[in-house]
Amino acid sequence: MAVESANLEPKGIQGLGKAIKRKEDPRFIVGKGNYLDDINLPGMLHMALVHSPYAHAKILNIDTSEALKIPGVKAVITSKELAGAGLAWIPTLAGDKQMVLADGKVLYQYQEVAAVFAESRQAAADGAAAVQVEYEPLPVVVDPFKATAPDAPVLREDIKGNMTGAHGPRRHDNHIWTWDVGSKDETEKALAQSEVRIKQHMVYPRSHPAPLEPCGCIGDMNKATGRLTVYMTSQAPHAIRTVLSLVTGIPENNIRVISPDIGGGFGNKVPVYPGYVCAIVGSIVLGAPVKWVETRTENLTTTGFARDFHMDIEIGATKEGKVTAMKVYTLADHGAFDAAADPSKYPAGLFSICTGSYDFQKAYAQVEAVYTNKAPGGVAYRCSFRVTEASYLIERSMDVLAHELKMDPAELRLKNFIQPSQFPYPSALGWTYDSGDYEKTLKVALERIGYAELRKEQAEKRARGELMGIGISTFTEIVGAGPSKDFDILGIKMFDGAEIRVHPSGSAIVRAGTRHQGQGHETTWAQIVSEELGLDVDKIIVEEGDTDTAPYGLGTYASRSTPTAGGAMALGARRIREKAKKIAAHLLEVGENDVEWVDKKFVVKGVPGKSVTMNEVAFAAYTNLPPGMEPGLETTYYYDPPNLTFPHGAYICVVDIDKGTGEVKVRRFVAIDDCGTIINPMIVEGQVHGGLTEGFAMAFMQEIAFDEQGNNLSSNFTDYLLPTALETPKWETGHTVTPSPHHPIGAKGVGESPTVGSPAAFVNAVVDALAHLGVRHIDMPITREKVWKVLRQAGVDSF
Amino acid sequence: MKLEYSGQENVQANPEKVWSFIQDPNKVASCLPDLKAVEFKDERNMVATVGVAVGPVRGSFKFNIELDPHPEENKVMVRIRGGGLGSAVDLTASADILGQDDQTTLLDWQGQATVSGPAATVGGRVLDAQAKRLIETVFANMSKKMSEV
Repeated sequence: MAVESANLEPKGIQGLGKAIKRKEDPRFIVGKGNYLDDINLPGMLHMALVHSPYAHAKILNIDTSEALKIPGVKAVITSKELAGAGLAWIPTLAGDKQMVLADGKVLYQYQEVAAVFAESRQAAADGAAAVQVEYEPLPVVVDPFKATAPDAPVLREDIKGNMTGAHGPRRHDNHIWTWDVGSKDETEKALAQSEVRIKQHMVYPRSHPAPLEPCGCIGDMNKATGRLTVYMTSQAPHAIRTVLSLVTGIPENNIRVISPDIGGGFGNKVPVYPGYVCAIVGSIVLGAPVKWVETRTENLTTTGFARDFHMDIEIGATKEGKVTAMKVYTLADHGAFDAAADPSKYPAGLFSICTGSYDFQKAYAQVEAVYTNKAPGGVAYRCSFRVTEASYLIERSMDVLAHELKMDPAELRLKNFIQPSQFPYPSALGWTYDSGDYEKTLKVALERIGYAELRKEQAEKRARGELMGIGISTFTEIVGAGPSKDFDILGIKMFDGAEIRVHPSGSAIVRAGTRHQGQGHETTWAQIVSEELGLDVDKIIVEEGDTDTAPYGLGTYASRSTPTAGGAMALGARRIREKAKKIAAHLLEVGENDVEWVDKKFVVKGVPGKSVTMNEVAFAAYTNLPPGMEPGLETTYYYDPPNLTFPHGAYICVVDIDKGTGEVKVRRFVAIDDCGTIINPMIVEGQVHGGLTEGFAMAFMQEIAFDEQGNNLSSNFTDYLLPTALETPKWETGHTVTPSPHHPIGAKGVGESPTVGSPAAFVNAVVDALAHLGVRHIDMPITREKVWKVLRQAGVDSF
Repeated sequence: MKLEYSGQENVQANPEKVWSFIQDPNKVASCLPDLKAVEFKDERNMVATVGVAVGPVRGSFKFNIELDPHPEENKVMVRIRGGGLGSAVDLTASADILGQDDQTTLLDWQGQATVSGPAATVGGRVLDAQAKRLIETVFANMSKKMSEV
């Protein structure tokens, strides 16, 4: 039966700004998501890893004989076997190299030492437990400040004496690189001339994204076809395919990476981990699919951690509170290998956004990275390449400055904001901010929370000896990596792609190089296409994560999907609309110049009643084309953004502190975000809720801690805490809209704003509550015990 | 994770009995709680498999135990190295053997242990309490067995 074009009136155009329900949710709600561990292939083997109990030790011997006797165990591999395949070491994204399995020594606790392949997960685990490894413990470096002491043990003997690294000279065998930006001399001069100066040391402790689904993969080498299929919990499947091709030598067209539904990533699922390599090698060697799924402890102890920045800041200002200059020194603990997933040009990520929302005329930042006996990583956890550390540093420091000046922190911020007329704003550390209206956003937040009344209440309570604090954070993010002129990973430019295919009956399939892990791309991409093409949003299906079908892209992390793939989606749709316009003119029997796109229809100029819908055009694209036109209605678009985007926000937190127990209760938290054009307000709100909860966790609960021997003291969920509904405060959200002038739909990205912006608001509130007791700073996580000790030290002993 | 303990135990046996007991790996091994298997290498060295439960870390640990008596100093040294389930234990202990009277000997002891792996990271919260209980049990067993000799 022929399709009748008259029946193709689109019903549900739901474009930008519509809070439609998430299209991906029904399958998750009814338990029909398809996660990595749901995939089982015929003849599949399981892999388990043997881990080092020591943080630093020589390996004297590995005896696999007992493991091989266990029923079901098929093989055990060590570094020796990997060396045979040229895979004992692999390059990291940061220009370093890392062991896949321990090669002669271990450099951090839980480092992977051997891989056991067996017929069942249980047999693999038994086999791993039966591998006997003889170690000779070595002195351990846990404290990054002691890493470059003259007598510090050399950790990376493989590069001992090599004083040039991927990012310049090394001054010690445990030193990785020094990176700086800005003018040191001019900044120091401006600081010397400043009327007021503050200095503060602060630590952003090591944390971990801890997605509920740990990492895993299935390597499936088909020996008959030579084709390797890898199912993997990856936020960046295309980049993984390229890396796999480079390290294994398998042609890239013979590698297919499928990233199924992902149970949270937060950056933890960007890198290549030793387990992935071992599972793939196992499949190649054994000729069977090999599945590896991490345990919780493996995830927390060996995969990409976050932060571990030890920061010193100095800010100069006038007596009236106008900032003049800032100087920053940071020691970055990168663990045993430099495996941070930063863009190639930026070894300290985008940390140089540390001037924040303020008009600093002079600034200088220096970051040094060192090796320690800890797991490698360093960027993950809902953070656009170190923007979280940068934002925390400046927002915490502005409160320190306000305290020094005896000025209200809101007033200090209002006095120093970059003004709307200054955009595009060139920062002292080299970025060009696209747009922002910081004063407006802060004023919305101040009014919403009733700031003046809260300050009155605080004064009254303080007079009665009660502890109440108000913390503000007016952060600026830097997301959307990125423009190809500056941003690449392993030389691959960080653009992203979109493919749109409109079918004859007005439905469409849309694919992107990104890979969502809960961000709602299946809904937001459909809404962008619905907006641009006037198609029914329910008839647009979105696919991501299969490198055989999706266009190339660098993946989803660092709040980059909407700034990059979102732009590709809009511009791809507009390219389709250009062709559609020609078809519309043909259908309307007028010249192309007489057709315009009005209210998501093609209308004859001046004749409002004479129009055709995109559905009718789509039908014609396959049935009734203008003579000589190529049939079909589809495109692939690669979008190279001209700049990054700079979302911002104003967060205000109110806390009450129990003097007796040190318990901090977050009474209110208002978050006003400005992420430019909002695609789906409900999804944005959901992102903000999730991010605030994670920011709350970092501020009050989370730290990956080590003892002197390098034992990881946060290897499970009884020691590394995730906030539940019980602890989580109630969030009050809102927004202002300052579109990005260069993004096709004015959107900026929002996924990371709440984790980036909120920690400083929490800490500022706690310090504000204790400021009159002489407290100037407390490092995260602000546990009850820490506050209790601060109170006792301040002489507070009454309850 | 570093653990340090010290203490004094009065054993109801004279110093000669104590000396003869602690120089016999067979007898010393019999004092280990939850001993699953033991293999004697020589008169000073043995390999003992012991049931261990530190929080959720439960199973068998295999220890190389070296007894190093110094009669001239009235002292015995013990070195234990081994582990299991991905954990490692490195322990050095010493005891001064001091006769009090014909029926009583004082063991004035101290020990330092380094624990690595899940026993420290996952079981860290209960490790100290478990280690103390283990030490108490070893001495209680020794005291009982020595007084029976």
